[in-house]
Amino acid sequence: MKSTKFTEPRKLSKEEVDRKWWEIGDFFRRNSLWMLMYCTGCCAIELPPAMTSAYDMERLGMGPMATPRQADILLISGYLSVKSLRRVIYTYEQMSEPKYVVGLGSCPINGGIYHDSHAVINQLDQYIPVDTYVAGCMPNTESVMNGFVDLMEQIRDKTAKGWIKYKENNEWYKKNQKAALGEVIIHDEFHE
Amino acid sequence: MKQMKLFLGPQHPGMHGNASVHLYVDGDIIKKSFLLPGMLHRGFEKGMERHTWINNISLIPRVCVVEPDINEMAFAMGTEKLLGIVAPERAHWIRMIILELARLSIHLMAYGGLGGPTGNYTLMYHAHADRNSILDIFEQITGHRVYHQYIVPGGVRKDLPVGIEKDIHAFIDSLESRYEEYRDLGIENPSIVARIKDTIMLPADVVWELGVTGIGMRSSVGKPYDVRKVMPYARYDQVEFEVPTSDYSDARSRIDCKLKEIIQSISIIRQCLAKMPEGPVRVPLGRGQSMRWTVPKGYVYSPVESSRGEFGYYMVSNGGTNPWRVGVRGASYPQGLLGVEKYLPGTRLDDAALWIDTMGVCSPEIDR
Amino acid sequence: MMNSMNNVEFLKGLMNQNFKIVETDVIDQYQVSFVLKQADVLQALVTLRNAGWIQMSYLSAVDWPDENKIEVVYILMNWERPVHIQIRTKIDRNDPVMPTIIHIYPGAKYYERECHEFFGVKFPGNPDYQKQLILEMWDDMPPLRKDFDPKAYSDRKFTKREYNEDYLVLSDQNDKKAKREARKERAESLKGGQKI
Repeated sequence: MKSTKFTEPRKLSKEEVDRKWWEIGDFFRRNSLWMLMYCTGCCAIELPPAMTSAYDMERLGMGPMATPRQADILLISGYLSVKSLRRVIYTYEQMSEPKYVVGLGSCPINGGIYHDSHAVINQLDQYIPVDTYVAGCMPNTESVMNGFVDLMEQIRDKTAKGWIKYKENNEWYKKNQKAALGEVIIHDEFHE
Repeated sequence: MKQMKLFLGPQHPGMHGNASVHLYVDGDIIKKSFLLPGMLHRGFEKGMERHTWINNISLIPRVCVVEPDINEMAFAMGTEKLLGIVAPERAHWIRMIILELARLSIHLMAYGGLGGPTGNYTLMYHAHADRNSILDIFEQITGHRVYHQYIVPGGVRKDLPVGIEKDIHAFIDSLESRYEEYRDLGIENPSIVARIKDTIMLPADVVWELGVTGIGMRSSVGKPYDVRKVMPYARYDQVEFEVPTSDYSDARSRIDCKLKEIIQSISIIRQCLAKMPEGPVRVPLGRGQSMRWTVPKGYVYSPVESSRGEFGYYMVSNGGTNPWRVGVRGASYPQGLLGVEKYLPGTRLDDAALWIDTMGVCSPEIDR
Repeated sequence: MMNSMNNVEFLKGLMNQNFKIVETDVIDQYQVSFVLKQADVLQALVTLRNAGWIQMSYLSAVDWPDENKIEVVYILMNWERPVHIQIRTKIDRNDPVMPTIIHIYPGAKYYERECHEFFGVKFPGNPDYQKQLILEMWDDMPPLRKDFDPKAYSDRKFTKREYNEDYLVLSDQNDKKAKREARKERAESLKGGQKI
């Protein structure tokens, strides 16, 4: 039996060291996720009871954040109209990595009750990558909190890789965005 | 000085709902502004033409997200007028209870929304905690917290559950006992009063020019012009309540009127629970034929008093199984679009979000 | 009640004395509607505004493709004598033009813009009735016309989610359907052939 007094400890390679630092980072990241304050659709009405003292999400470590550059989660609450999707893509690309997307309601899954509308998109993960869905129309506040806990477990199990998918398959996402929207950045007299 | 372009954009912590205001700012003062609606557009008016009359009940609460019961009430009133039927007696009283509870919940949310732009989060926490109790009461009565689909043409869907009066009385007693505390936190609080007193004025001739209704009109004209008093529907002429008015229309007096309306709603709910008769709650419409049920021809406009003003549905039928045209008159259309263009310039940049909150601009009903 | 019937009678008298009304309809004690010719509408709105109906509630249109007409609707309100008035007029569908009313009711500016966007009605005199308000970069016909099919547009532009067909279709369902039909026929024959 070899004793460790006379054998050298194995040196870790650079990738293994990086991965260990990333795991420590993931521990801190999943226990203090900050959510961007952006109410995009109807399901946003179930967010104030979650943010305030009724179902308090601050005990999970989550809090609201004002700017996209410093937020972790982009919460798509409900349906997305075409006009809104342009602004959401612009916001998503401004967020710094790693970033996660949670889709609330049935509308990001398959269009929901507006599946035959001329102004609402039908499937969200053709345009931006989504990590977790919470089904319902509209989901209870307890389901929303459950969705957040699921996201935290996904980060722990290292399966929340939406932002890496966006970087690797960028052309596919951009092609879909162009087919549905035409142009993502508006060029009219105000936006110049 | 050069003017800078800014977005009080869709993603903003002080913005209520998903609409963006485009501003041209010189230093701190806003010089030009206009609202960009349309981010919540779902094509409701087209969608309602593709569903049958009964199917539409599942679509209409989603038009105005924060106060869905007024949509159902306006649709039900319009359909009953076209059909020529009258809902039973008990159904009218139950409808009044639901509408007044919805009015309480949205006034609490708007009052708590005052806390966000001014940095006073305690107010927001108190208001949303109480609002959550109202949503729990709704879940016991109708089955869903937010989208009830309870008020249907012909009455209400089913009767109140046994023992709900105790819960409603307990809630409104506790809300009434905390009324003074709400006033101290918000409207008597010197740090908030300094920002809302003598600012964001709405004079009387502006009201008639824009077409503003609701609290904006009542607080500047000084007369009780409320749809519930002037054209009463659903037994509002058999309960006693006052409509608060004021003569000097700045932001503080409008919020004061909102708080007084909370007290009046509480007294209406108490009177309804005391005076409600027994009986059936729904007139059966076309038994067994709901897929082929038709409504006679006609053009009708049915107004309801929402917390922001006169809210109405314009319904046209040509005798078929689907509505021919449903038009929604959003109560915040005048002050949201024309008001922002003409009367927001001149205020300071940090008051822009307060302007939108106290004028009562709710963006889902502008975009439909 | 007496008061509001008086209001409705006053309105009917006022309109009949000044204009040629195509059709009048009293819906209840708080609502009345008049159908006018296109040329009379502007003068009728000025008369009603001077009589006290100073609030404009709604402006929109209804599409009647069979008659080849678009019907423009104005709804007015007076809080002192509470009656909602609907003024309706039918205009040509292929080239709908209606004079603007922003000098009478300034609040109509955005209603006319939206009416143009959704129906294609032109309002000369309104300086920016052609700018898009609610839709953005719209490339198809005005959406609220009856020829437009929103489901076809949605299927063409936005991809839908594909679901696997992993459910079974049992083969003996036809027997149940035949049994159901036989049951229904028997029930109808028992009640004298009349559905209750």
